[in-house]
Amino acid sequence: MAEHNEHAGHEHGAPTGFIRKYIFSLDHKVIGLQYYFLALASVFIGMLLSLLMRIHLIWPTAHIPLMGEIKPEMYLTLLTMHGTFMVFFVLTTAPQSGFGNYFLPIQIGAPDMAFPVLNMLSFWTTFVAFLVMIAAFFVEGGAPLHGWTGYAPLSAIPSAGPGETLGADLWIISIAIFCIASLMGALNFITTILDLRCKGMSLMRMPLTCWAWFITAILGLLAFGVLLSAGILLLADRNLGTSFFVPGGLVVNGTQIQHKGGSPLLWQHLFWFFGHPEVYIAILPGMGVASQLLSTFSRKPIFGYKAMVYAIVGIGVLGFFVWGHHMFMSGMSPYSAFAFSLMTMAIGVPSAIKTFNWLGTIWRGRVQFDSPMLFAVGFVSLFVSGGLSGPFLAQPLLDIYLHDTFFVVAHFHLIMGVAAIFGIFAATYYWFPKMFGRMMNEPMAQAHFWLTLIGTYAIFMPMHYEGMAARPRRYSQLTEVAWLQHLMPVEKFVTYAAFITIAAQFIFVFNLFWSMFKGQRATDNPWHSTTLEWTTATPPVHDNFGCKTPVVYHGPYEYSVPGAPNDYVMQTDPTPHGGHVPKEDKPLEAE
Amino acid sequence: MADAVVHHPSEAGAFEPPFLGAYSKKIGMWLFLLSDSLTFGALLFAYSYGRIATTNWPTPFGQHSIINASVMTACLLSSSVTMVLAVLAAGRHDRPWARNWLIATMIFGTAFIVLHAWEWNGLRAEGMTLSIFPAIPHAEATEMGKQASAVPQFAGTFFALTGMHMLHVTIGVIYLGVLAFGRKWLPVMALAAIGTFFIPAWSTFHWLTYPIIGAIVVIGIILWLKPKQYDAPDIEVGGLYWHFVDLVWMFIFPLVYLMSTRIT
Amino acid sequence: MEMTERHQHGEHAEGKATYFYVWGALIVLTVVEIYLAYNRVFPNPLHMLEVLLALSVVKSVLIIGWFMHLKGETIVMKWVLMGSLVMCLLLMFVFFVDAERILKLGTGR
Repeated sequence: MAEHNEHAGHEHGAPTGFIRKYIFSLDHKVIGLQYYFLALASVFIGMLLSLLMRIHLIWPTAHIPLMGEIKPEMYLTLLTMHGTFMVFFVLTTAPQSGFGNYFLPIQIGAPDMAFPVLNMLSFWTTFVAFLVMIAAFFVEGGAPLHGWTGYAPLSAIPSAGPGETLGADLWIISIAIFCIASLMGALNFITTILDLRCKGMSLMRMPLTCWAWFITAILGLLAFGVLLSAGILLLADRNLGTSFFVPGGLVVNGTQIQHKGGSPLLWQHLFWFFGHPEVYIAILPGMGVASQLLSTFSRKPIFGYKAMVYAIVGIGVLGFFVWGHHMFMSGMSPYSAFAFSLMTMAIGVPSAIKTFNWLGTIWRGRVQFDSPMLFAVGFVSLFVSGGLSGPFLAQPLLDIYLHDTFFVVAHFHLIMGVAAIFGIFAATYYWFPKMFGRMMNEPMAQAHFWLTLIGTYAIFMPMHYEGMAARPRRYSQLTEVAWLQHLMPVEKFVTYAAFITIAAQFIFVFNLFWSMFKGQRATDNPWHSTTLEWTTATPPVHDNFGCKTPVVYHGPYEYSVPGAPNDYVMQTDPTPHGGHVPKEDKPLEAE
Repeated sequence: MADAVVHHPSEAGAFEPPFLGAYSKKIGMWLFLLSDSLTFGALLFAYSYGRIATTNWPTPFGQHSIINASVMTACLLSSSVTMVLAVLAAGRHDRPWARNWLIATMIFGTAFIVLHAWEWNGLRAEGMTLSIFPAIPHAEATEMGKQASAVPQFAGTFFALTGMHMLHVTIGVIYLGVLAFGRKWLPVMALAAIGTFFIPAWSTFHWLTYPIIGAIVVIGIILWLKPKQYDAPDIEVGGLYWHFVDLVWMFIFPLVYLMSTRIT
Repeated sequence: MEMTERHQHGEHAEGKATYFYVWGALIVLTVVEIYLAYNRVFPNPLHMLEVLLALSVVKSVLIIGWFMHLKGETIVMKWVLMGSLVMCLLLMFVFFVDAERILKLGTGR
């Protein structure tokens, strides 16, 4: 197995030349950053689209520069592309492919991912998917309007709306390419974790971030394959004249559709078979980061490490059994709905285990509220607030009332959207010093945190009440509807809150780029963390540990160990109580 | 087999023993196959779903189709044996024979593709076709074609499933070619692409041009970034993929062909 | 199984004949399948489906176990791979509950 060694990059020096170093780089750190910046670009696209939606919801006739008035079809386009960009190119890309790529090999003491070429291919395939998705805006008819879930038959019939011609084809192709990219990434992650852990890094000594990335990768591996086949079938329905998802006798825009004999429910089954694990793909890495940060900044070992691991595994496994709870309204068999409902509520158990363990970790710790910690606490807060509405929606009877209302919008934005984004923020503030060798500006970070936390609560909490008052979702214009008039002040409040929250994100972006060049220089271990990435140079050298492989002697979260001279014991510390102060050589001065 | 246990000869023991007891590349391929079998699984479930939910599912395949499909099955099964022999030869470090057996595998695989594309042409000429497919000159609808197109789902599922499988076989042949010939395989593929391009556009064979061109681009990038001599583990991993393609056919054949034989 | 990688090496050397037996078994099973289907041995399509799929599962066991050498891998690998695959495929049977309901609701065509 000589070639394995080549991957590892031990014999190879860092590549020279711009293209090999920054474009087609095989270095997992560069690929991680490429993913991160791709997600950053996507999140701004998604945010702009949501801003337009919020404006349209309270001023439906407002004249938008370059776009004019937003037509109802345009509103659906905004909705679709907002969801698509956010779910696929932000929530799937940044926490898993971005931070996972950068820190997973370092945290387990590997010189690189198991398959660096595959890693590079997976990024560039994702990038192609991104370009194809962007192209959907500019083709005739514009982007599709079938929602990020692409429900058939709307998505399967080109004559169903303006964006449903070429735009929808591009959308499906982009998603299919994204599936292939995610498959490559997922199998790379799994293989790396199984095979490239350094000596002493047993599975039960891995940081919880690695466990989260591991389970997320398994979910991705099993789920994206199914979405790929759903996409192929949908593409066939649209272009090859097949009829998997289109029922017979359908009349669209006054003309009868020639297809016959398909079933829209089949699309929903296939889509949500992927779609529900996807929710956990988005949130699990955030859980891992939150666990790592709460332990580090409370200076306490994580409460119940094993329970945390089993909870992550449990959530991952149960995540496959519950996709039907998205379909209670779709005419699914009530017997399977009953089973799905039970399984869904069962997921509350591992989720609660995680939450209580997080609280147990903070309990009586010496908590330091640096910006990463603030975002980790914010993550837990949002996870609880968003999660508590889950058991309501898990019950078919309640769900039938709430499903098509803003209650669901509030629920999944809090738990899947904003909570996962808080995980990304926490990870950014925490690992920025390691990635760029400089600290991020703390006052700006604090301002960003408070504005974002209060802002997101102000946006999404009122939506629960709107939902219970039966305000339907996915409708373009409800300003003239008499029985919803009393909700207009709430709508206005939400839109103003959205303005402020979106403005606050520019603080973050400014801080990010400003600190990259002007921030205070960081030491190798500014947060006094114990995991392996803090033992190496800042930023890490090409093969992470400078031609040697670390050896691990401790679990990941040994803080405040009784009898130890410091309040933390590095994982690589050979002495039982950490008498040995880690003083790694610094091969590279930052920049 | 050059042994698995030693991952990193320069520093054996620097890493924990591999969890699944095999070298990384093999794990990677198994994981890919796991995911891909779910892709095919979902396709087959979609097919079965359609079949359950549709009354009067046609059963048009007569003797001719079944014989053709049986020969194709035999081709794939035999190619699996030659593939295993290639892996064995590579394990003995017998490169010439490893290459010979790989070539035999590729010949069987190509025979499968040719028979299959031929069959597609025949079916389309008989009237079992999809609206997007270009019309075949001198096509004449037969009783079989009329039966098959009575339920549009039938042709749809048939072409989607077997097309997806044929794509996998094509990729498999290309992959084995890279293992056998390395960089020298690229010009051969380019010739093949040019050859298929000049087959008339209505023919199924013409469509093979596109996957081949895509493969040339991807393989070109990979060989440029990591030129290497492929060794025994690579051939074993390639073999896994090939057997998987065979395996999928073992489900497509009974579900799509045998369950649709004509009642005589 | 209990075999380590090193044993597997030995098994390969002795196993050439085995592969031909496996190949023969696969061919025979295929012929049986064709015979069953072509002669409509089971008039009920559901029975036919069950028999054909059972035979196909046997064939896939032969391919996975011998040709793909899963037989020689560690027991963890067998369970991890086959367990997750079978679990996910079994889950998809939930789809059929709805496929049958469509017929009963009378909107099948």
